[in-house]
Amino acid sequence: MASKRTKTRLAFAVLLVLALAPLVWVWWRMGPLPPTEPGPLLRALGRAAGVTGLTWLLVAVALSVRVPGFDPWFGGLLRLWRAHHLLGAGSFLLLLAHPLLVALSAAPDAPEAVLALLTPPWRQWPVWAGWGALLVMMMFLAPTFSFFGDPRYQRWKMLHRLSGAAALLGVVHAVPLVQTLEPAQAAWLWGGYGGLAAVAFGWRTLLSRWLARKPYVVSADEPLAPGVVELTLEGPPLRFRPGQFVYLTPLDPALAAGRGEEHPFSLVSAPHEPALRIAVKDLGDASHALMSVRVGSRATIEGPYGEFLPERHDRPALWIGGGIGITPFVSAARALDRAGGPADVVLIYCANDPSRAYYLSELRDIAGRHPGLRLHAHYFADEGPLSAEFLRARVPDVAQRRVYVCGPLPLLRLAEGLARQCGVAGKDIVREEFDLL
Amino acid sequence: MYTSFVAFWASVISIWAYAVLAAGSQPESGAVDAGVPFEELARHASEDDCWMAIDGVVYDVTDYIPRHPTPLAVMTPWCGEDASEAYRTKGYGRPHSPAADAMLPEYRVGPLLRDD
Repeated sequence: MASKRTKTRLAFAVLLVLALAPLVWVWWRMGPLPPTEPGPLLRALGRAAGVTGLTWLLVAVALSVRVPGFDPWFGGLLRLWRAHHLLGAGSFLLLLAHPLLVALSAAPDAPEAVLALLTPPWRQWPVWAGWGALLVMMMFLAPTFSFFGDPRYQRWKMLHRLSGAAALLGVVHAVPLVQTLEPAQAAWLWGGYGGLAAVAFGWRTLLSRWLARKPYVVSADEPLAPGVVELTLEGPPLRFRPGQFVYLTPLDPALAAGRGEEHPFSLVSAPHEPALRIAVKDLGDASHALMSVRVGSRATIEGPYGEFLPERHDRPALWIGGGIGITPFVSAARALDRAGGPADVVLIYCANDPSRAYYLSELRDIAGRHPGLRLHAHYFADEGPLSAEFLRARVPDVAQRRVYVCGPLPLLRLAEGLARQCGVAGKDIVREEFDLL
Repeated sequence: MYTSFVAFWASVISIWAYAVLAAGSQPESGAVDAGVPFEELARHASEDDCWMAIDGVVYDVTDYIPRHPTPLAVMTPWCGEDASEAYRTKGYGRPHSPAADAMLPEYRVGPLLRDD
């Protein structure tokens, strides 16, 4: 456990150095103290904002790489992408400030130059490349930050590919314009970061299609409840841990929607099983079409990703799964059933009513065979939202357990609050949410 | 995020509107449209009265010298001279920034007249 945390800290430390090194370098070249006169001060701030904004944009592109085995260093794909999201948002704010600060820096000396700086003659093409980068960023970030209403997943993903163009234009803007570095230094700096981003972008948009996606065949589909099916996929063996997820790209030509689109799904099979199993809930056009995917049709699987459940049951645990969020725990229970061994796990299965607790009977059977797994069902329709009383009554030693929660966002928030109320420390609460993966 | 997006465009539009209004009310400075002979340029060759020619245009940069980022000694030798080459190849042999380009017209005196 300690080594895992050290690994994550190391990864984020490297990320921090990458994110701040160019700023430190440029600042050091500009001189130790910031200027005190308004013009030069605004110019220095504008340059710092530009350099840092472009750095963060390029690092954010690099972080979107999604290579199996890379994300556990960052504590899972979700945390990695939270870092990506924060860097991207920070970069956007800094790059919005950059042209305004640089332009306004001329105001004390030459007020007419302010607009000329924003809209210079065409021979200053690097400035226009910068404008291009900023406009492209506005286009692909508009759905991310819901500028014009809620985004649709596929359109959001398509638009996000424009980030490559924004990064390229940003580098084209910065190499000739960075005033504080020698031309060779500027080329090395932005060439290095740009290269990192380009490799990641190339992998993500082109190479991963051939190298990371493995061919599978849908060999069974079992309806679990209305709007929920369990798909079995046969293909090359995949090494994974319970709690991890994969990206599925169905290729069935008869699908009404979502053919060739990738979506993330938790694995519900145990690692030792010969085939992979995933549970699909009807949540949108693509998952609705998957309800009737044909047995025998082709699909690809990319993964595994995620860092939700620990490898070993070396600490007493409380698992709380709600709705389709029960899936990681189904995989873990199936693995426990097969491998045996010591464990001290209480699983609370939250569902609206018994008809929606589609994995309950199988989980009950496993709990009957394995003394280390205890199971409680909680039905919203009968008992209302999960409560601290329910937790304390079923799990008196809850404060001594590490809590893992997976489910819809309201349940995650509720369960986290309840666990804290019952005396569980924040660092012992692990949440898994599938938000825009 | 949306707020900063809107704030950004509001600022750009404000700057543009200001520039349009300022351009309308700007009195003509003491520009010499007939042109500046080289001998006239050469008479303004001190730190306290410094004209420079850059790409065929003469600028009176006297007021700007104290604000220029480099030490005085870098700029003053070019007073009264054609400084085009120096302007194009400042530190590390690269041209001045778009900021410098944008600010130059502020100091314009007139076109440089060639002897020939």
